[in-house]
Amino acid sequence: MASLDDPGEVREGFLCPLCLKNLQSFYQLQSHYEEEHSGEDRDVKGQIKSLVQKAKKAKNRLLKREDDRAESGTQGYESFSYGGVDPYMWEPQELGAVRSHLSDFKKHRAARIDHYVVEVNKLIIRLEKLTAFDRTNTESAKIRAIEKSVVPWVNDQDVPFCPDCGNKFSIRNRRHHCRLCGSIMCKKCMELISLPFANKLTSASKDSLSTHTSPSQSPNSVHGSRRGSISSVSSVSSVLDEKDDDRIRCCTHCKDTLLKREQQIDEKEHTPDIVKLYEKLRLCMEKVDQKAPEYIRMAASLNAGETTYSLEHASDLRVEVQKVYELIDALSKKILTLGLNQDPPPHPNTLRLQRMIRYSATLFVQEKLLGLMSLPTREQFEELKKKRKQEMERKRILERQVVLESQQRFEERRSDLASRAANGEVVSLRGGPAPLRKAEGWLPLSGSPGQSEDSDPLLQQIHNITSFIRQAKAAGRTDEVRTLQENLRQLQDEYDQQQTEKAIELSRRQAEEEDLQREQLQRLCEREWEREREQFRAASLHTRTRSLDFREIRPFQLEPGREPRTHLAYALDLGFSSVQSSAAAEPPAPSSALEPARVWSGPPALGQEFFPQSMISQQNELASLNPFYEEDPSSPTAGGTTSPPAAEHSFGPSVSILKEYNPFEEEEEEAVAGNPFTNPDSPAPNPFDEEDEHPHQRPSSPPVPGNPFEEATCTNPFEMDSDSGPEGEEPIEEELLLQQIDNIKAYIFDAKQCGRLDEVEVLTENLRELKRTLAKQKRGTD
Amino acid sequence: MNVVFAVKQYVSKMIEDSGPGMKVLLMDKETTGIVSMVYTQSEILQKEVYLFERIDSQNREIMKHLKAICFLRPTKENVDYLIQELRRPKYSIYFIYFSNVISKSDVKSLAEADEQEVVAEEFYGDYIAVNPHLFSLNILGCCQGRNWDPAQLSRTTQGLTALLLSLKKCPMIRYQLSSEAAKRLAECVKQVITKEYELFEFRRTEVPPLLLILDRCDDAITPLLNQWTYQAMVHELLGINNNRIDLSRVPGISKDLREVVLSAENDEFYANNMYLNFAEIGSNIKNLMEDFQKKKPKEQQKLESIADMKAFVENYPQFKKMSGTVSKHVTVVGELSRLVSERNLLEVSEVEQELACQNDHSSALQNVKRLLQNPKVTEFDAARLVMLYALHYERHSSNSLPGLMMDLRNKGVSEKYRKLVSAVVEYGGKRVRGSDLFSPKDAVAITKQFLKGLKGVENVYTQHQPFLHETLDHLIKGKLKENVYPYLGPSTLRDRPQDIIVFIIGGATYEEALTVYNLNRTTPGVRIVLGGTTVHNTKSFLEEVLASGLHSRSRESSQVPSRSASRR
Repeated sequence: MASLDDPGEVREGFLCPLCLKNLQSFYQLQSHYEEEHSGEDRDVKGQIKSLVQKAKKAKNRLLKREDDRAESGTQGYESFSYGGVDPYMWEPQELGAVRSHLSDFKKHRAARIDHYVVEVNKLIIRLEKLTAFDRTNTESAKIRAIEKSVVPWVNDQDVPFCPDCGNKFSIRNRRHHCRLCGSIMCKKCMELISLPFANKLTSASKDSLSTHTSPSQSPNSVHGSRRGSISSVSSVSSVLDEKDDDRIRCCTHCKDTLLKREQQIDEKEHTPDIVKLYEKLRLCMEKVDQKAPEYIRMAASLNAGETTYSLEHASDLRVEVQKVYELIDALSKKILTLGLNQDPPPHPNTLRLQRMIRYSATLFVQEKLLGLMSLPTREQFEELKKKRKQEMERKRILERQVVLESQQRFEERRSDLASRAANGEVVSLRGGPAPLRKAEGWLPLSGSPGQSEDSDPLLQQIHNITSFIRQAKAAGRTDEVRTLQENLRQLQDEYDQQQTEKAIELSRRQAEEEDLQREQLQRLCEREWEREREQFRAASLHTRTRSLDFREIRPFQLEPGREPRTHLAYALDLGFSSVQSSAAAEPPAPSSALEPARVWSGPPALGQEFFPQSMISQQNELASLNPFYEEDPSSPTAGGTTSPPAAEHSFGPSVSILKEYNPFEEEEEEAVAGNPFTNPDSPAPNPFDEEDEHPHQRPSSPPVPGNPFEEATCTNPFEMDSDSGPEGEEPIEEELLLQQIDNIKAYIFDAKQCGRLDEVEVLTENLRELKRTLAKQKRGTD
Repeated sequence: MNVVFAVKQYVSKMIEDSGPGMKVLLMDKETTGIVSMVYTQSEILQKEVYLFERIDSQNREIMKHLKAICFLRPTKENVDYLIQELRRPKYSIYFIYFSNVISKSDVKSLAEADEQEVVAEEFYGDYIAVNPHLFSLNILGCCQGRNWDPAQLSRTTQGLTALLLSLKKCPMIRYQLSSEAAKRLAECVKQVITKEYELFEFRRTEVPPLLLILDRCDDAITPLLNQWTYQAMVHELLGINNNRIDLSRVPGISKDLREVVLSAENDEFYANNMYLNFAEIGSNIKNLMEDFQKKKPKEQQKLESIADMKAFVENYPQFKKMSGTVSKHVTVVGELSRLVSERNLLEVSEVEQELACQNDHSSALQNVKRLLQNPKVTEFDAARLVMLYALHYERHSSNSLPGLMMDLRNKGVSEKYRKLVSAVVEYGGKRVRGSDLFSPKDAVAITKQFLKGLKGVENVYTQHQPFLHETLDHLIKGKLKENVYPYLGPSTLRDRPQDIIVFIIGGATYEEALTVYNLNRTTPGVRIVLGGTTVHNTKSFLEEVLASGLHSRSRESSQVPSRSASRR
């Protein structure tokens, strides 16, 4: 209770001014405000409106600021905010027209590529045949026979000149046959295929690469192995000796085709160092892209003091991410220096490529690494946690307070109404039971936490998931933990939302009921008024003395109001003892109407216990009300102005209005099967008593951070009657102000942290203004 | 309708289609400009494009571990280069994109050279996207006399059709009747649309888009005026070439600021200030400096605690970016203001505006004469004042152009500029204008001008509204006269147009770009894109006039420059 008495306390976060729900950002707050409260501020209208607008304006201003901030970070189209229809704002456009020539391309090259492939395959098959036997240990004649069987040789007589160089064949310039295609060329134009080369082509395997020797003319035999050089030496001698049994003669064309093929094989199998390093680099970058957002999520949560993630886990992750960054740095450096001290320095383009890769890696690290926020230290974290806990607690209290406050108002009005009705018709009830039983009325509430714990499935689920998380953490399944945590958070959000929805629902219903009541009230008043006028005529003197009476009664009247409140405090304390139990205390929403009804009407006899209690207040007021009626010719008009619907709708006698309430009560009665109260003795007063159950149970702690007792003094039921509308609004406005102040304090805090000094100034100015308004208002209400 | 975005999307698509891995972008001279306007280096690096090569550069190394993305105009030379490239591939795989329609025969010969299974597509990014609503083809000297240079006509047609394709618009075409060139271009565009009808099959919009083709001749005043909004001013005084500004002539310039890039795509300050006037820029620069200074001390003074350092490091990328921005804009604006005072531009501009917007001959003449005596006024500015006078008071009864020409000669203005005066009159004089630049015809405009005269002007330096504004205003309201701007073909637009593409043969200006920008902002539902064969400042406009060869006053001898005219 103590915390409630301190209105100056700073609350942080984006709190909805009406339902005190903590929303995570301006946007959410705004949309929340628009969704939830646009229709339901009926009872908060009037003078409040201006304040709301003021607050909204301030919010908008801040909102805009945040927009600017958010946009300054991003580049591109979002950062342009001229207003109006800027060319940048034109609706998103699709990709422009495109035409593909791929099918044409395929059509044209298909024949060529087919031809090429067939050619290559043919040559390789022949080569395989030519190398399939042991050449060195076979007689040359036999070799020739085999070679001739692979491909038919062109007849010597058909080719008088070398087709490539045009020299005439003679005894000195002998004809040579290509073993692969059978064509004829001169010795100069002849090429030779070494066996390892042939092997490499036919097997196309990596092994042959190391032993491979490309013939001397091959342009890309950069890394000839030792053995290769030896064999090339021997090849020279063999050419001299014309003993080339370990080689295969072929023409230039076949050789070219084969060389091309070899190149392709090489490219396929050889990956340069830069590619290997680069692939590693990209892998690291991907890892960062995965991990960094996760870490940022964690760090943000931890810095906010939440306990969804563990600090150790987060710092582990931080270290991990940082290591990856170091790796990226190292890899890119390695790429940069690749081949720098090679003898023929690399081509300038290669160097450029390396520099560019390094540059982009640096950019990447700069952009991402510096975005990693730091984690709180252990002590800081403990502090944050504590702070957060307190905050949550406070929030919860405040949330509940709002509910309670509205309930209280509701109750007060109810009881007034009831007393009035009673005054008019059920005078016999005056001698109700003693106030002793009052306390007993609270018992079911104190017992309710246990009940509610079982009954709210959401809470149960939250409980379960928390234990799952614990288990999963113990088992070390981090990904599972994460999904569970996500789950948990959703549940909590859901739960929070449910709670606030309930609260909102309640207050809305109350507003509706109040309207109805007001109508009713007015009707009663009118009737009373008429009756009074008769009386008035009879005894005007008498009235005056009575009115004096009333004033004397007033202090007494406060007593009963105070008493239940202390009981409530007790009940609340119980409620606060655990998170779960507090939930049950709060939420009398129609959606879950059954549940609260059950709780409140707990023991079958309960209704009776309440009955007297409500009677007490009635009693008190009845005493005071008489003078009121006499004095009150003006009150109907007041009622008429504050609740226009009542004036407009021509309702029948008050009884008919009471009947309108009946369905609602019946519902409750059904829920409370076996409640003896379902058989009321007199139909007219009973509904009121039934309704009175609510107000008395979810009682009446004062609105928001303001001092409850101050409130109590000004919520004189009598005054409430005469001008219930504005009277109800006054405290809310103050409450709103206080909230706004709190919000602004939070903004200031935030701005200070981010070092936006100019903003801080604006905000403090704002705050001062609000405080002044508040002070003014307090003076006004006091 | 955002041309920058359209080109950017094309480039992004190309890069995405090639998949992961190191990439090289193979371009020609023009596509290099096209890509550089929409992508910054660091932006494109993030997409794994590490090298930028020209297809015609011979000194390219074989790098089989790179993927090649070729973005080329479909010219004969490029196709030849590409065939060579494909025959002896330097990269592992090729993705070929043409910036325009390529002929079937070229596709065939390419395919025959291909052994790599390349991918070939047409992406129609065949124009320079300057601003979201402004594009250029960077052609200087598109006309010979009054008629098109055939090569430039085909290039312009390609550029315009590519623009239409990239925006997916199949427009109705209107052109300026008084210009033969406009008519030719309209016909050529129509021809392409008819020929490539399947390409131009887009989803029909309720109101078809409109292409309006204008000729610079109709408004020779606008490119002759000094400008006072940031982008236009920079172009007028320093010259913007594909977003790059050459500052090497600035006295005492530091080495890394010899050439700066002003791109709204990645320079927030520029994006927010390019349409503001010089005075506003001044104060914004001041704010920028103050911001900068506020941040700077953090690094130099308060780096005592670790928390300070941390904060600094966390702010570092923004800080670095900001410091670059600050020094760049401070230099540019400083140079602008130096030129303004050195050349006495405020005074010159005031008289220019008077010449362009008011009809008081005697006071205008007096002012021009006075300025011609001022030694601070450069020969360039003196010549342009006389040009403006000559254009406005060409047929005035007490025209004293010869006297002014004498003054120019006495001032020592070179013959080149003196000749240009008559050339400009020949280029954009009353005889060739289809509409009246100076005296409004309809009653509304007359009253407007009258009221304007009564009220006085808010800013003497920015009184002038380009003629384009009136044309577009009429067009938007559906009041543009069909006898002056006829439709090509039988069909006409019944509704008011919504999507408008304006193309100015002979080049647009940044002042007109600003006008279009403002029209876009103030008329909801209307989207206008402006294009020109180039974007002019006075200097380039005079070159354009010179290139068109209109030195003589007689149309017949326009191809043969005659000296007699200049002696007048």
